[in-house]
Amino acid sequence: MKNRLKVLRAEKDWTQAELADRLKVSRQTVNAIEKGKYDPSLSLAFKISRVFNMPIEKVFVDEETTISSALHSE
Amino acid sequence: MRQNSLRCLLKFGSSMLAYLVLLIVSLTFLRENPDSPWRIPVTIAPVIPIVFAMLAVIRFVRHMDELRRHIHLEAVIIAYLATLILCFSYGFLENVGLPSFNTMWVGVAMICLWGIGQLLANRKYQ
Repeated sequence: MKNRLKVLRAEKDWTQAELADRLKVSRQTVNAIEKGKYDPSLSLAFKISRVFNMPIEKVFVDEETTISSALHSE
Repeated sequence: MRQNSLRCLLKFGSSMLAYLVLLIVSLTFLRENPDSPWRIPVTIAPVIPIVFAMLAVIRFVRHMDELRRHIHLEAVIIAYLATLILCFSYGFLENVGLPSFNTMWVGVAMICLWGIGQLLANRKYQ
């Protein structure tokens, strides 16, 4: 699942380790989520959105919703 | 998380130390008392601290972060299936004359394959 985690982290000037500490996960987890190699659980996704103070939809991009919205707008 | 890792490591370490001590005591006792009526409980006694070591590992995995827990699950599945394949293969080979071996080696193989499984599973998330 695509996400804006790297961009949001850069805006806050946090390292992966710092974000991992705030989320109470390993740096490997943050790295894997940023690269789209791992989709976080719902509870972790909510934690991420709380840390960045924005709705989940602004952090994670649901590709199916994006595609269907694009089709409807046509 | 680090506090939990340290606590689990201490529990695991002390269990393995107890295993080592009991193993030495057990082997010494059996060597000096080969016909003792206590030989069966004494021979099995080193397994008790292994049970505690196992509980420490389970607790450690339960408190791991979700990705690491996922990686461990994949590693355990790889180890289980690879051990199964090796055991079945060797079972067939015993039919054509290869010697039987001590079943303890199955446990050793599983632990080694768990390590290899971890390396393979980790690569997917690098």
